[in-house]
Amino acid sequence: MTSRPELHQQYDLIHFLQPALHVPQNWNYENTHPLFQALTHPPHDVGGQPDVPVYHEEKEEEQWELNTYVTCEVLGWRGAWTAEERRRRADNDLGYTLYLGMPYYGRWIWSAAKMLVDKKHISLNELLEKIAEVRSRYESK
Amino acid sequence: MKASEIKESDAPPRFKVGDRVRIRNMPNIFYTRTQNYVRGAIGTIAACTYKDLIPEEEAFNYDGRVEQYYIIRFRQKDLWEEYPFDNDTLQTESPEHWLEPV
Repeated sequence: MTSRPELHQQYDLIHFLQPALHVPQNWNYENTHPLFQALTHPPHDVGGQPDVPVYHEEKEEEQWELNTYVTCEVLGWRGAWTAEERRRRADNDLGYTLYLGMPYYGRWIWSAAKMLVDKKHISLNELLEKIAEVRSRYESK
Repeated sequence: MKASEIKESDAPPRFKVGDRVRIRNMPNIFYTRTQNYVRGAIGTIAACTYKDLIPEEEAFNYDGRVEQYYIIRFRQKDLWEEYPFDNDTLQTESPEHWLEPV
């Protein structure tokens, strides 16, 4: 079983990702219109918002990133989705937590898997069992 | 799929009341009904309830498989070591593929 200190650490991290508790939250009765607009703002429309300084670095693409790119393109060629649907799923639909927290190609592969499940090309259970199988193969090495 | 269209699975239940089982720790993506704090924990089958579609497939309207569901009983102290009372238990529901024999 997940050790209880490990589990508490996980819950603390989840708590850390949630908005700070300045006001009561979790099903508000009423929101002001500006708050409604802020809540429904698409996370990828970042222009004009404050951010920390970003440093320029030359980063080579990693193999998993290239694989992800090719996989998503091939899914497009085969008609599973369009580039616009990919953008909608990987940018707009993720919500702030995943949009801000995942690596760039992490968002791509996450949304490709979700699309395949949503469109019933695979079932979620098949995906989970496959991930579990691959994980146990690596752990036994 | 409507409840009336659910095909009865012919497979006999894998577990019986009193069996010790461990909840599997599967990846937690897109949807789950298996609480984080019971994953990997060992409990006892308290009841064999009914057969139904599995949550991971029904949640996506996927015409999927039907499985036996169980009520599993845990000692609160096994889940939370700081829990103060020895006899208190917690029960939760799970379909068969989330369980492994101990």
